[in-house]
Amino acid sequence: MKRAATLPGRILWNAFFWTYERATWQYDLMVIAILAFVWLTPPGWLHDPTASGEGPIGWLKTVLARQ
Amino acid sequence: MTLTGLIGRVCMFPLQLIISTCVALRIHPNILTFVGLLINVAAAVALGRGRFVLAGFIMGVANIFDFIDGKVAHQLNAISVFGGFWDSVIDRFSDIALFVGLIYLYSRLGRTDYVMITALAMMFAIMTSYTRARAESLIAKCKVGFMERPERIVLFLIGAFTNRMAAVMWVIGVLSVFTVADRIIYTYRALQAHPQKVVA
Repeated sequence: MKRAATLPGRILWNAFFWTYERATWQYDLMVIAILAFVWLTPPGWLHDPTASGEGPIGWLKTVLARQ
Repeated sequence: MTLTGLIGRVCMFPLQLIISTCVALRIHPNILTFVGLLINVAAAVALGRGRFVLAGFIMGVANIFDFIDGKVAHQLNAISVFGGFWDSVIDRFSDIALFVGLIYLYSRLGRTDYVMITALAMMFAIMTSYTRARAESLIAKCKVGFMERPERIVLFLIGAFTNRMAAVMWVIGVLSVFTVADRIIYTYRALQAHPQKVVA
């Protein structure tokens, strides 16, 4: 008999075994997670060979500081 | 409407204008596809030289051609089986060109770690297309997995314009591995449910 999967387990499985179409809320959530990783991860953590400065977060800080 | 749906609709307005112009000039869609490849090669050269913002603009132009060829074919009634095949083949060359540009850059910088990461991302990006193509010769449809070509292109653009190409290579690499795995699992399950004759 199959065991009922727990909610976190189901979320992880659905994120891994991706069957959602584009322009669904699940797709938007994945896009936000990817953008957060790309823009919020400090380049030093990834030993990025080309990145300089703080990137989009730095630009946002500069804009907010000016106001 | 979702956020990504809204962005798609906004982008469609200028693209519709370009499509109408190509249709009015009766430019053959296969030529548009090939021009897209040539522009992508130019983008790869810019990536190889570390000129990310320039590469981003060139990729943007190249992908307009990639996007509109099918729409122009439809409006010109020029849809053909060969056109679909040509489009797929040229798309793979375009994909590979961009990765090769980055591999050249990281190699020039002496970063063998990112040469490997980019090479693996390229391998799984190509396998993403191959697994679907091969699966759909056995089963009706195999459209599972997140990291398809449009997602890769948008990620390349984001990486280029915001100088975060290393993070983008990690995302493309990891999610392409998942996508390939999804397609293998999906095809296995579909074939278990409806066994086929063995195809050599």
